[in-house]
Amino acid sequence: MTSVVSAGRKWGESLSSRPENVGLGVMLGLGLGAVALAAQWVKGPSALLVAVAMLAMAIGLIYTAFAGGLEARKSLAPYGLLKPGIIWLCLFFLAPLWSMVVMSLSSKAGRFDFFPDFTWNFENYRIALTKFRPQFIRSFSYAGIATLLTVVIGYPLAYFIAFRGGKYRNILLGLVVVPFFTSYLIRTLAWNNILADEGPVVSLINTLHLSGIFESLDIMQNGKLMNTPAAVIGGLTYNFLPFMVLPIYVSLEKIDVRLVDAAMDLYSSASQAFRKVVLPLSLPGLFAGGLLVFIPAAGDFVNAQFLGNPQTTMIGNSIQDQFLRQLNYPVASAMSFVLMIIITIIVLIYTKFMGTEDLA
Amino acid sequence: MNTRRTTTPQSVKASRLNRRDFLIRGGLMGAGALSLPALLAACGGDSGSSVDLFFENWPGYMDEETIGLFQSASGFSMKYTEAFNDNNEYFAKIQPELSKGKTIAPDILAPTFWMAARLVQLGWVQKLPKADIPNFVNLRDDLSGQSWDKGDEYHLPYQSGIAGIAYNSKITGRELKSVSDLFDPAFKGKIGMLTEMRDTVGLILMGEGKKIADISTFDAASVAFDKLEKAKSEGQIRSFTGNDYVDDLSAGNFAACVAWSGDVLQLTKDNPAVKFIVPEEGGTSWYDTMVWMKGSENSDAVAKWMNFLYDPVNAARLTAFVQYISPVKGVQEELVKMGGDNAKLAEDPLLFPDAATFGRLQSWGALGEEEEAKFDEAFASITGA
Repeated sequence: MTSVVSAGRKWGESLSSRPENVGLGVMLGLGLGAVALAAQWVKGPSALLVAVAMLAMAIGLIYTAFAGGLEARKSLAPYGLLKPGIIWLCLFFLAPLWSMVVMSLSSKAGRFDFFPDFTWNFENYRIALTKFRPQFIRSFSYAGIATLLTVVIGYPLAYFIAFRGGKYRNILLGLVVVPFFTSYLIRTLAWNNILADEGPVVSLINTLHLSGIFESLDIMQNGKLMNTPAAVIGGLTYNFLPFMVLPIYVSLEKIDVRLVDAAMDLYSSASQAFRKVVLPLSLPGLFAGGLLVFIPAAGDFVNAQFLGNPQTTMIGNSIQDQFLRQLNYPVASAMSFVLMIIITIIVLIYTKFMGTEDLA
Repeated sequence: MNTRRTTTPQSVKASRLNRRDFLIRGGLMGAGALSLPALLAACGGDSGSSVDLFFENWPGYMDEETIGLFQSASGFSMKYTEAFNDNNEYFAKIQPELSKGKTIAPDILAPTFWMAARLVQLGWVQKLPKADIPNFVNLRDDLSGQSWDKGDEYHLPYQSGIAGIAYNSKITGRELKSVSDLFDPAFKGKIGMLTEMRDTVGLILMGEGKKIADISTFDAASVAFDKLEKAKSEGQIRSFTGNDYVDDLSAGNFAACVAWSGDVLQLTKDNPAVKFIVPEEGGTSWYDTMVWMKGSENSDAVAKWMNFLYDPVNAARLTAFVQYISPVKGVQEELVKMGGDNAKLAEDPLLFPDAATFGRLQSWGALGEEEEAKFDEAFASITGA
């Protein structure tokens, strides 16, 4: 008995001599425990056991911090600061992700079977990838085009505000954000009136006899602007534009204008100065803007629902339909997971080519 | 159905603002004092266990006066909320509790009939205390004895309406009469359909000469789906909408669309070019219907409340506010008695359709679990989702 106690004490001492290991261990332990509880790996009495173990770990950590003195607390601090974030991620990201993956591999006995059984049912993924392939392709192409458009529109705008805005800078920036004061849904629905067949834009195009050009560019279809792919892409561009302008503005605003002067002094033309100095320095903003626009745009369903037609639905609409209407949670989960994976792959490739490690 | 009720008469908006003003003022006066916690409790979403009756309804679907009158007449306290926005969304919200055998806070919900039928099928509602609802006899005859609840044991209709065709006569340039007008090539890209499957498919089926009450399998309805698919791929259909079709119709984006009578009644006041018809082949009749949720123990209050709503005087007041077709007999006479604008409502053919129109209305029977799934999936693949 005494030998067990002394062994325990010895182990305790060896741990308190390396408090950073205790910090790391407790962080991982608490995270794992949080996922186990939230994803319901353990239930009933064993859940209680996990909770008690988590409590014990927390107490052990506090003990180490107090017993080890200042040095120990110093080396514990980094993990201490990380813990809230890690536990948050475990509870609200990892655990739901786990549930989603389990659901995506389950099968239902009937339409109103609300507790599908986990059966390694990869059929759900086959359905997600074949039946909904058009929606996936459409989502990523629409989101890609919308992202490019926000760059084309947003970059000059951010450039103007940052370098030519002068004392009106803040007002101009405010104007970029002002649309957010209205709800997303209302802003999107408003386009319905602006682009209506009898509305101002279509009448203007018709008076100027430009409809032929718009039709050949496929922006208009059968004399309509509303309920076309162009309207959906336009809606995405409009709604996500501020997410492109703001990060670009931040990175442009930081640029020391004397760098441009220096480039000019060295006989570079204005466009060379832009390409060699301003553009590279603003890449981090462009990079961030690209992510902020592309990711939510790919999963958006509001624009396609209100500005599109039956041939322009995006994957978000399909997931919503599978989940709410068809009550097909396994297929909806598989579709969501596939969407996440594809976005992750695209972001990784994007980071590879536009990576910001050697910038800023 | 989908977020259908958006239009609120000005007078009610004003009275709501007043009430809000009152609350703000009350809150300011009571700030820091003991009344604040009480006020917060009054605003907070408690479980409803502290009141005798909790009714969760569609937005803008009842006047405030009715609740006050009921409370003082019956002595029961009542909580009334309007968080029921969409049948499918609400179902997704209550499903986790009810499927585990737990109860939800509201005692009464008013889902659309097919959702009510689903709740009955799942055993999530209980039989109404009909013995204590003498006004049950005022239920309109055509709504009694539905195929999914032959003895009217589980539900009592709250409001009803018609799905037919609405058109903008400025765009069509002619009167419409038939379901086949929706497939007129002259209106290519100018036709709207509802995302509410039963109303859209039902109308097309009637156009094909089918009786929708007899349809219980997908195969029997496939002709309508084929027709819809063809119209979609040819570009005849502009979009599938919820009740936002009102804007498209008014703006002229839709020449014609499948529409709900109540919406169009409101719309025609602002835009006389918009017209509503029950096609000669027939229109679908829908109703939102009150069900008593499983686990609720407030039988007395539930019975009193339903009995109160089925008193023609109270039903007429409700009709004057919501302007849907009342399921209660005797409302027309009561509206005449109320006089003024309300008496005019009594003559409105959309609120009180004549016998010939009523004769053309049909309603869906119950679809089995697997058949309904086939309908919904086929419809989703047409709407593109």
